[in-house]
Amino acid sequence: MEKKPQGADGADCREASRLLSVAYERHLSSTESVSLTYHLDRCLMCRNFDSQLKFLHQASERFRSGGR
Amino acid sequence: MTDPRFAEIEGHRPYLMRYALAQLRDGQMAEEAVQEALLAALEAVSSFAGQSSLRTWLTSILRFKVIDLQRRAVTERSRAEPGDLSAASDDEGWLDELFDETGHWRQAPQAWSDPQAALEQRRFWEAFERCLDRLPVMGGRVFFKREVMGEDTETICKEESITASNCWVILHRARLALRSCLEKNWFGKEATGR
Repeated sequence: MEKKPQGADGADCREASRLLSVAYERHLSSTESVSLTYHLDRCLMCRNFDSQLKFLHQASERFRSGGR
Repeated sequence: MTDPRFAEIEGHRPYLMRYALAQLRDGQMAEEAVQEALLAALEAVSSFAGQSSLRTWLTSILRFKVIDLQRRAVTERSRAEPGDLSAASDDEGWLDELFDETGHWRQAPQAWSDPQAALEQRRFWEAFERCLDRLPVMGGRVFFKREVMGEDTETICKEESITASNCWVILHRARLALRSCLEKNWFGKEATGR
């Protein structure tokens, strides 16, 4: 496997998940987006987390109008 | 007198309670607001035209009860109590439970099978509510305001007297806890290392 990039070149899962979450609250800087994209391309677990955040968002919206 | 919608209305009580708690923070006041709203709804149920969902209709009745109670509370108490700021601390030690020292997931998020189908199942929503209940008080409240009610972060920060970055941490933590709870209790796949 390729070596893990440092700092701005890539994020670890801990940082990537934080960025995925905070992206719902504010714009990510280009450095952040680049580092996040780099990580997501290589990490299935964080891609799963990404989909789950989208799902939580959708489910919550639906919960407001009655859920089922 | 026994409109079948009475039972249906009662079924929305937990959601309404959550809504009232998000606004009022005070359990007793929230209870009172929900009670008044439900009584008003029961009296007016024949006027419910079904244009919106029953929950939306109930929520709009409750909204005015909440505003009314807030106004009364403000005149009774000159100062609001401070929020539980301990929950909003910048201490990120809790993250160590979720990520190892190299920054990897301790419990890898799994691929959930057919989440869209879950949205159609009554039992999924029961699990969803149980998972919401397990969130820390402030996390649950902030998550509810942000994701369910769709308030913007700025408004929430003001209401909770917290900074924006506190708010993001609280939301992130709530989302992590919620996804993990749903994975354990609904999507059911054993989340092992990787």
